[in-house]
Amino acid sequence: MMTRRELLGGLGGIALATLLAREQAGRAALTHHPAKAKRVIHICLCGGMSHIDSFDYKPALIKYHGKKLPSSEKPDTFFGQIGLMRQPDWTFRQRGQSGLWISDLFPHLATLADHLTLIRSMQAESANHTPATFQENSGFRFNGFPAMGAWLSYGLGAETDELPAFVVLPDARGYPAGGTINWSAGFLPARHQGVAFRTRGQPIDDLFPARPVPPDTEAASRELLATLDRAHAEQRQEDTLAARLRGYELAGKMQLAIPRVTDLSRESRRTQEAYGLSEPDTADFGRACLLARRLSEQGVRFVQLFSGGPFGSPRINWDGHENVQENHSNEARRIDRPVAALLRDLQQRGLWEETLVLFTTEFGRTPFTQAGATVVGTGRDHNHLGFSVWLAGAGLKPGLAYGNTDEIGWKSVEDVVTWPDFHATVLHLLGIDHEKLTFYHNGIQRRLTNVHGHVIKDILA
Amino acid sequence: MTLLLSLCLGAGPAVSPAPDFDRQIAPILIQRCLDCHSGPAPEAKLDLRRKLSPRAARRAVERVLDEQMPPGKPLPAHEQALLKRWLEAGAVWGTDPIDPFARTTTQRGGRDWWSLQPVRSPLVPTVSGADHPIDAFWLQRLHQAKLTPSPQADRRILIRRLSYDLIGLPPSPAEVEAFVKDTRPDAYERLVDRLLASPRYGERWARHWLDIARFGESDGFERDLPRLNAWPYRDWVVQALNADRPYDQFARAQLIGDLENEAEAAGFLVAGPHDIVLPVGETMRAAMRQDELEDIVGTVAQVFLGLTFHCARCHDHKFDPIPQSDYYRLASALAGVGHGERTLKNPKLEERKKQREQLLAQRDALEKPVRARLYAAGKVKPAQPTLAWDFTAGLAEMQNRATLVLHGGASRDLQGLHLNGKEAYAAVALKGTFKAKTFDVWLKLANLEQRGGGVISLQSADGNVFDALVFAEQQPRHWLAGSDHFRRTRPLGGPEETSRDTLRLTLTYSVDGTITLYRDGKPYGKSYRVAPLELRDPVLLLGLRHSPAVGNRLFAGTILKAQLYDRALSAEEVQGQGVVTSEQILAELDEPSRRTHAHLSQQIEQLQREIAAMEAAPPKLYTVQPINPGVTHLLIRGNVTSKADVIAPEVPSVLQALLEPTRLPPDAPESARRRALARWLTDGRNPLFARVIVNRLWHYHFGRGLVESPSDLGFNAGLPTHPELLDWLAAELPRQDWSLKAIHRLIVTSRVYRQASLPRAEALKQDADNRLLWRKSPVRLEAETLRDAMLAISDDLAPMLGGPPYQDFRSYFFKGTQYYDIVEETSNRRSLYRMWARGGRHPFLDTFDCPDPSASTPRRTVTTTPLQALALLNNARVLRQSERLAASLASQPDAIGTLLLRAYGRAPTERERALMEPFVQQHGLAALVRVVLNSAEFTQVD
Repeated sequence: MMTRRELLGGLGGIALATLLAREQAGRAALTHHPAKAKRVIHICLCGGMSHIDSFDYKPALIKYHGKKLPSSEKPDTFFGQIGLMRQPDWTFRQRGQSGLWISDLFPHLATLADHLTLIRSMQAESANHTPATFQENSGFRFNGFPAMGAWLSYGLGAETDELPAFVVLPDARGYPAGGTINWSAGFLPARHQGVAFRTRGQPIDDLFPARPVPPDTEAASRELLATLDRAHAEQRQEDTLAARLRGYELAGKMQLAIPRVTDLSRESRRTQEAYGLSEPDTADFGRACLLARRLSEQGVRFVQLFSGGPFGSPRINWDGHENVQENHSNEARRIDRPVAALLRDLQQRGLWEETLVLFTTEFGRTPFTQAGATVVGTGRDHNHLGFSVWLAGAGLKPGLAYGNTDEIGWKSVEDVVTWPDFHATVLHLLGIDHEKLTFYHNGIQRRLTNVHGHVIKDILA
Repeated sequence: MTLLLSLCLGAGPAVSPAPDFDRQIAPILIQRCLDCHSGPAPEAKLDLRRKLSPRAARRAVERVLDEQMPPGKPLPAHEQALLKRWLEAGAVWGTDPIDPFARTTTQRGGRDWWSLQPVRSPLVPTVSGADHPIDAFWLQRLHQAKLTPSPQADRRILIRRLSYDLIGLPPSPAEVEAFVKDTRPDAYERLVDRLLASPRYGERWARHWLDIARFGESDGFERDLPRLNAWPYRDWVVQALNADRPYDQFARAQLIGDLENEAEAAGFLVAGPHDIVLPVGETMRAAMRQDELEDIVGTVAQVFLGLTFHCARCHDHKFDPIPQSDYYRLASALAGVGHGERTLKNPKLEERKKQREQLLAQRDALEKPVRARLYAAGKVKPAQPTLAWDFTAGLAEMQNRATLVLHGGASRDLQGLHLNGKEAYAAVALKGTFKAKTFDVWLKLANLEQRGGGVISLQSADGNVFDALVFAEQQPRHWLAGSDHFRRTRPLGGPEETSRDTLRLTLTYSVDGTITLYRDGKPYGKSYRVAPLELRDPVLLLGLRHSPAVGNRLFAGTILKAQLYDRALSAEEVQGQGVVTSEQILAELDEPSRRTHAHLSQQIEQLQREIAAMEAAPPKLYTVQPINPGVTHLLIRGNVTSKADVIAPEVPSVLQALLEPTRLPPDAPESARRRALARWLTDGRNPLFARVIVNRLWHYHFGRGLVESPSDLGFNAGLPTHPELLDWLAAELPRQDWSLKAIHRLIVTSRVYRQASLPRAEALKQDADNRLLWRKSPVRLEAETLRDAMLAISDDLAPMLGGPPYQDFRSYFFKGTQYYDIVEETSNRRSLYRMWARGGRHPFLDTFDCPDPSASTPRRTVTTTPLQALALLNNARVLRQSERLAASLASQPDAIGTLLLRAYGRAPTERERALMEPFVQQHGLAALVRVVLNSAEFTQVD
């Protein structure tokens, strides 16, 4: 939809020859190398999921339960309360052929262990939720940087003109802390920002007239408008005016496509059941997962699902400061079955080979509890020094666990993966060299990966 | 010797000459090696800026030729070959150390980069057909390229273009007709002057300025709390532009306005995001503060210098001659800039206070002799504390309804309350509002080495805000009045503590913010005045600075007795002289004096009530809240735990050749740092200052600057399309006393600006991007202008200037985050006056490329998308304005004609009438207005 000249927004000419070359490299070529994945579904857990209670098995924690942190280093935690160590609240088991260790926190997901690629050696730069979530999504700790979905929209566009390239499905209980800031396009053109779909009413703003317009008036209006605009464009021969005419045509297609794709009643009863739509615990996230599959299937480049709303008590996200057992049980129950259903559905429909599923959280939780120095508390504080995420689908080695934290799961020590590494790998799978997807902003060719990032080759198929 | 010489000569023609170090080798080292091998902590302790012995050079070059270095990124073959030849020729070093920033190379800019050179004042060339200086420069360039200019646009187009450009609104049909018919030779200039004098001019251009100021009206981050008092900065910008404040003053006020009675202007510095969710850990806090400083430093440098200093926070700038130390020079200058809300001075309040002081003095003169008599006669009662614990007098608590709760192993006996300095403290929640107060404590220190323990503290329930009596937090063995982020803490300058015996410390906080500490009844150091803290339903702590009880916040020692007063005790009261009650005084006065006293008291009471009311609802302002700037260090790779050299708030090296140094020490006071920054930044000899703003103005008038990136005149920006014109304008600005309106007038009265916009095939072929300005490029209305124009043509635009913003969202606080749910907006005010909450962006405006208020946006992108079509067709605002405009047109004899005059500034053609008349008959006038609001001609300006 955007012509090259618009894309550059007036940037051009001798002096900016380098800029121009880079923008073209970042965009016009579409991919820098053959892509393994065409699109992404990103499940984003807000609040900090405990890796040591889910995907990072640390038997030593059982040994140290009730003891002091076996280290002379004083942890620099968010709330500064260093209680005694606590063992995992769930039993870990080896799963499937791969023998990956996954705890009973995610019983459904565990049956798909052979299809997951775990990273157990993540490290973030902040133990403060929002800067950490910004980094998880945009690579930077500050407001004003484009989210990963916006970068992909900019880099690859959408596979369809009838739907936005970057769709966000917030938790039904509320937007994450910071709200829409989380899916901003930052300094990229505003069109690349995430479009949050509502689960009730009109899925997006202004899809249909705010007040009813009779169908014949609507049709006649469109026709008159096209006639006026064509006459205007004829005199002027501007690319933008041609693009504008096309925009009005596509708007009509969107009005058909969006209600169709969001209509979950078109799915079979069996599918709806599999996603848990009829169970109160799983209905919300089940709807989001099913909608994500439908959007992805129709060519939406990046669908982002949020598990968890804002902070505060009672908890409605993964921020288990008071009681991990209680908090994580509630949160996992909402998503475990729907996520497993999504993975199976993608496999059954032949979408698995071209879809990349990401399952991330802004940081993990501490092996010691958040309590008085002599107490085994029930909650855990933020831990950005070591945590786990997983990827699944196109282009990955399945049933693999990459990297390690230390004996107690406090710090990543082996094959440490940072967010820029993670982002570089995601872009790589989509056929993009993370160093070449750039956008000039206030002096810098900005990248999702800043000046960092190494593709994690060992997890690629 | 001869043999050797002949051998060399003989070998000569076979090999190419040895590479020149400074010209050929140093640039390779700069580009490929110095990122890691230079600076305060070079990799492998190898600093490649310094001269290497031939042996060391051989070792280094061999690793490069083995492709071990740089890791993973071997050098291209020709660079390897150059290094090899240099080695073979004896590895002769040139300039030592290498100055990577001296000269511009093909890869990066040096200090010889064009924008860093003094502004020349080029002579206006003589070009036939150009009687305007701008046109002379423009035509000369155009002719060189063998291009011809476009003819002047017709008057209907000119007035529409000029009106949108200068005031952001369409001209009314009457204004269009008047201009078209105006036969005076200076009709156009008159129009320009009229528009520049309109208050709408300030509104229009303030929007541009707020884009680069990243002006948002909420905090961003997790809380995203609204900033209900940020708008005075927006109004300040509007008024300053309307008053044509000279640009150097305009800039200075935004950097130091809060120091000069213009605190609104300083809102610029803190218009960006601010994270108020603070972790306990000092390292994490420090990193967050560094991120915030990057936003402030980056914005100041981009806006006023057109250089991207923020790129040099972690390493030397990759493209511009900005060493990392230059970033920290600016960071040091701005290190004291904190976010916050200030209570504004209310002149009426000040007046009332003065009156009260005079009356109090009169009453005091009456009372003084009586008080002296009463003291002499020993008839005085001691002051009564609000709360008091005398641990040595048994376990009964005096007159307290609130009971102390002991935590972390705190214990009490007849010796006092024992606190171990690790976890022990006592706390009690209080009811009511505390502003003035006195802490009066008898204590024994367990040791004199402890640092930072709070003896007694009054804090907010969450512990984020507090006033406390603290031992040795900033300076060993010194008492201080501790506070959150040292906001109300200043060095008292009292003596070092040497005693571990029983001491009495009395800390008084008066209503006017005066803080005084007494040790054993005698003043400890000097008292000082700050903005006072007011706490509602606070928590009183003994033994803890503020909660949670971690780190160095706990006091080690014994508290024998502790008292809290809800007012500041006077020096006499502290010294135990007690208070004289008013009843006692009245009883001693004679009748006439008693009447005078009563009259004075009545007046004082009346004033007290007025003052209290004014103080209860003070005018507030979101602006700079200075914090202790400390001493700035260069941070290796930007890491807060890797401190290197101390950096003073000095002129950056990139400009040192042109400007006088500030000569400030690294620990200079906050205000001195910012004043110095404002001085050199706006100095007429700083070539960037004028170049950047004239280029910005050009950018907004033409849709593209003479330099294409208005906030970056560094290497990445390349060369200006018209370098001499840029310099002429930059020189003209100070000649016009820094009047921005004068520059606007110059630009819009030029022929280049008045050209028609229609494309011409032959010119398009040669210069499709119109870089040489052979026509005026058409533009699409910006998001806000589009909304404003819809309101304007239906006569709905509210004329009100300034004031608090309108809200087009439902805002509520939910679980720690402020949310802004967009609702159907009904305000008729200009879009400038919208409340720009960071988490409350408006989908309609966003669709038309309204930028993220968190990112400084010198150039808006312009996109064309199907979502725009949906927004313009379906948005409630568009339908509403369609109906409103249709209703007002219904009474017009020629509704279609009037509609097009308003929307397009012209009458309909025959063909248009033929299409529109039957359409209106069938579908109504509102449907036609909707079509016109959607049409390209309405949304585009030729």
